[in-house]
Amino acid sequence: MIEFQDASVVAPGTTVRILEPTTLTLAERRVAIIGANGSGKSTLARLINGLVLPSTGSVTVDGRDTRRDAAAVRRSVGFLFTDPSAQLIMPTAAEDVALSLRRTVKGKGERASAALAALESIGLGDKGSVSVHALSGGQRQLLALAGVLAVGPSIIVADEPTTLLDLRWRAHVDALLAGLDQQVIEVTHDLDAASRADRVIVMESGSVAFDGKPRAAVAAYRRLMAGT
Amino acid sequence: MGLFGLYRERHTPLHRAPAWAKMLGLVLAAAWLAWCTVPAWSVASALVAIALLASTLPPLGPTLRGVVPVLVIAAATGAYQLWQGDARLAVDLAADFVSLICLSLAVTTSTPLDESMGLVSAAARPLRRWIPPEALALVFSLTIRALPELTRILAESRDAARSRGLDRSPRAMLIPAGVRTVGYALAVGDAITARGLADEAVSVSRRGPVRR
Ligand SMILES: Nc1ncnc2c1ncn2[C@@H]1O[C@H](COP(=O)(O)OP(=O)(O)O)[C@@H](O)[C@H]1O
Ligand SMILES: [Mg+2]
Repeated sequence: MIEFQDASVVAPGTTVRILEPTTLTLAERRVAIIGANGSGKSTLARLINGLVLPSTGSVTVDGRDTRRDAAAVRRSVGFLFTDPSAQLIMPTAAEDVALSLRRTVKGKGERASAALAALESIGLGDKGSVSVHALSGGQRQLLALAGVLAVGPSIIVADEPTTLLDLRWRAHVDALLAGLDQQVIEVTHDLDAASRADRVIVMESGSVAFDGKPRAAVAAYRRLMAGT
Repeated sequence: MGLFGLYRERHTPLHRAPAWAKMLGLVLAAAWLAWCTVPAWSVASALVAIALLASTLPPLGPTLRGVVPVLVIAAATGAYQLWQGDARLAVDLAADFVSLICLSLAVTTSTPLDESMGLVSAAARPLRRWIPPEALALVFSLTIRALPELTRILAESRDAARSRGLDRSPRAMLIPAGVRTVGYALAVGDAITARGLADEAVSVSRRGPVRR
């Protein structure tokens, strides 16, 4: 369970408020965040795992404060970025997943087989020794997801994970995210994906403009976009 | 792509050898090459180095891409010394270049980066009062990972400058490349934090310093 208590964010080094004080409780299994470019979606998403800390108020995940307990929060919150290239650190797919496992699985052999299992579970079983550069954009996003899932998080936050992908890979990644046991918070411009969520939050100018069921949320978003 | 992308899972004697032994061997070989100035010995060392590299069954294309620039440098250095009238030094230097690149490649094709990282962090352990070893190992692998990314950013910036007709302006290429490099560095920093790797490096270092 994710709780925002009057959390606001001021851009670092400035007095510009990029998120107005926001109070939210996210308990639904599938939450989508939509809104215009620059409306504060990424800021909201990054607050959840402590990549951004609130300037006022607080954010807690399962009762743990992102400011005081950052390491524990990040262990239970996996984060998926738009461009997986920056997220992948090691030269080959298997080594990259193994890197995620350094903390939890001791022993090289165990780590290697756990990494391979993680790759298999996501359909990249034959790509273990392939260079990260040789993977397609879609495969890289899957690999990033495998690295995130390998540590067993209970929540996945994804910031526009399909924006750079073609339609086929988008459908594939969407299906994978939909099938996860974890709670998934997804920032997206894909209104079809948002429509499948249990709850949709519409951001506008750093505040929540609408919060509710998908159909009403998408309608509210369209009205907002038509108005400007 | 970086030399470290060359690792392949194979079953060769060098793959089975422990990483520390290979690294130590590399350091000793470099010392030997610097010390030995007898051309015949240098050439013999180069042949051994080539044989060792071949024994790791390296992937052909990527290995050649790694070797060719060094061969060009070796040939140029040799040619320069030859022109200076020192044939012995020409052979010696060219052979040393070839030996070193082949030996480093033999280590990288037979050692997973994970092991090299472990070694780097072990080697850095005596410094742990000042630098967290895990952090150093992470920086090591990030540097290797960043090289191809920076090459790509430079190439794309050059193409973008060209397509605007700004071929001759270094600024048109370097400013976007610089901005993107900073952007890439920030994104990698975020990703490392998000994956909990930064927390791990710091917590290891916090445990590290022993109070006496
Ligand atoms: N570090 C920062 N410094 C200054 N402004 C920022 C910073 N990060 C984000 N912003 C600004 O805050 C606003 C919201 O950003 P963001 O949450 O990334 O929006 P979105 O993800 O919806 O596009 C944008 O106007 C952006 O320019
Ligand atoms: Mg964003």
